[in-house]
Amino acid sequence: MKERVVVSGMGAISSIGKNINEFTDSLKVGRSGIGRIRNSFDPPISVSIAAEIHDISFDSYLEGCAEYSGIPPGFTNEVRQCARRAPFAVQGSISAATEAWSRAELFKNSLAPDRVGIIIAGNNLTEHYQYGLYEKFKQTPEYLSPTYALHYLDTDQVGTISEIFKIRGEGFTVGGASASGNIGILKGFQLIQLGLVDACMVIGSMAHLSPMELQGFYNIGAMGGKRFSNEPEKACRPFDMDHEGFIYGQASGCLILESLKSATARGIAKLAEISGGALVLDGNRLSDPNEAGEIRAMEIALSQAQINAIDVSYINTHGTSSPKGDETELKAIRKVFKRKTSDIWINATKGFTGHCLYSAGVIEAIATIIQMNEGFVHPNINLDNPIEYDFKFCGKELSQADIQIALSNSFGFGGINTSLVLQRIE
Amino acid sequence: MLKENVFQVIKSSIVEILPEISTNQIVISVSLQDLGANSIDRMDIIIKSMERLGVKIPLVELAKVNNIQGLVDILYEKASA
Repeated sequence: MKERVVVSGMGAISSIGKNINEFTDSLKVGRSGIGRIRNSFDPPISVSIAAEIHDISFDSYLEGCAEYSGIPPGFTNEVRQCARRAPFAVQGSISAATEAWSRAELFKNSLAPDRVGIIIAGNNLTEHYQYGLYEKFKQTPEYLSPTYALHYLDTDQVGTISEIFKIRGEGFTVGGASASGNIGILKGFQLIQLGLVDACMVIGSMAHLSPMELQGFYNIGAMGGKRFSNEPEKACRPFDMDHEGFIYGQASGCLILESLKSATARGIAKLAEISGGALVLDGNRLSDPNEAGEIRAMEIALSQAQINAIDVSYINTHGTSSPKGDETELKAIRKVFKRKTSDIWINATKGFTGHCLYSAGVIEAIATIIQMNEGFVHPNINLDNPIEYDFKFCGKELSQADIQIALSNSFGFGGINTSLVLQRIE
Repeated sequence: MLKENVFQVIKSSIVEILPEISTNQIVISVSLQDLGANSIDRMDIIIKSMERLGVKIPLVELAKVNNIQGLVDILYEKASA
């Protein structure tokens, strides 16, 4: 008998809120985090719009954390000493993890450290950090900071966060391009199902891209933002006729997954159940989406979860605002759900947050759980003229909705398709 | 370049890497470890000081240094060379 797996805590820092409460408010009122990129690059690049995290330093975030429930005295000081010089993406992960750990009541109601795991979702997490050091390195390699040898590794996040939260079970990173977040959740779910850990911290790392990655995405034709360059908040338009590519977003998200048994024994609130998920490949190294792969991901996720398609009432789509991606996903949804598509709420969180790449799956799982528990579906703020009409797209305002079972999709370059099934817990 | 200048440079590197330390806590006879610097902090402080003084010393040459005085001496020697 496999362990059932629930979500017992979550935390997020994003362009639309520095914690779950702010994030929830933004989802409800349709507040976009997309704007003009504040820092200019030398040389200038072709990308000028993004959903960036602004106006919060790591220090001020940590000060704010002191209000979280159960934070032990001295914790924020310890964190500061451990991570004040860490790259921004690591600090973002620590921020989201601290909120999630607190919400899961793990500061005061702890688990055996060797029964807790940690998964960092994302690959190539230090691009911006590395790019920032390159100029000086070309002049005087001898003066490269020795911490580079630690920080350039993606697993720096595993080390740093396991030290801060005293985690001693399994820990690793998983990479799957834009599907990384969902893969992290799926692997954490499986660790618990297998009984290897009782709880697993799954962190969707911020993709802190350097100008080179931004330009690369632009050159490959994946980015939007041209037509609405003077109205950035309108640039990300999943499923709208005027969609033209994704808009880069920054966010760090964290879910605490826990066995139902452990969460019940600790007597804490369970936010949702992870009922199943799937990861399937297309056998394709390129960037194009594949309908058959997306269908397989959704179908296998539903069958793993032992859920009938008819019982799904909401899909948090991958929906990046890429013309080909949006069209392919709707086709795949239609094949899986058939005529039922007109009864399933559909929205795309990326319309607010931009495409958070590695953390997208975690951020969107969080958005899904919030909507399930609060009985609403968030608006599609830029959906003026849908590319298809036989789908139940959320409108431009929030709608009340009773969601019992939801699907959350994430697809990545390289033919990586994932889907997760989440269920509300009464 | 005086030894005192080298000491000042090292002090400024220490407080940058370890902001909880104030310069008046740093006496020349203590080691970086005594001030709470871990192995990576110590390397950071040394590299930062070398950069500020414009000297390049192979790190193996620093193996014998066991307090700030030793560090001042070797950096001073290279900076004056």
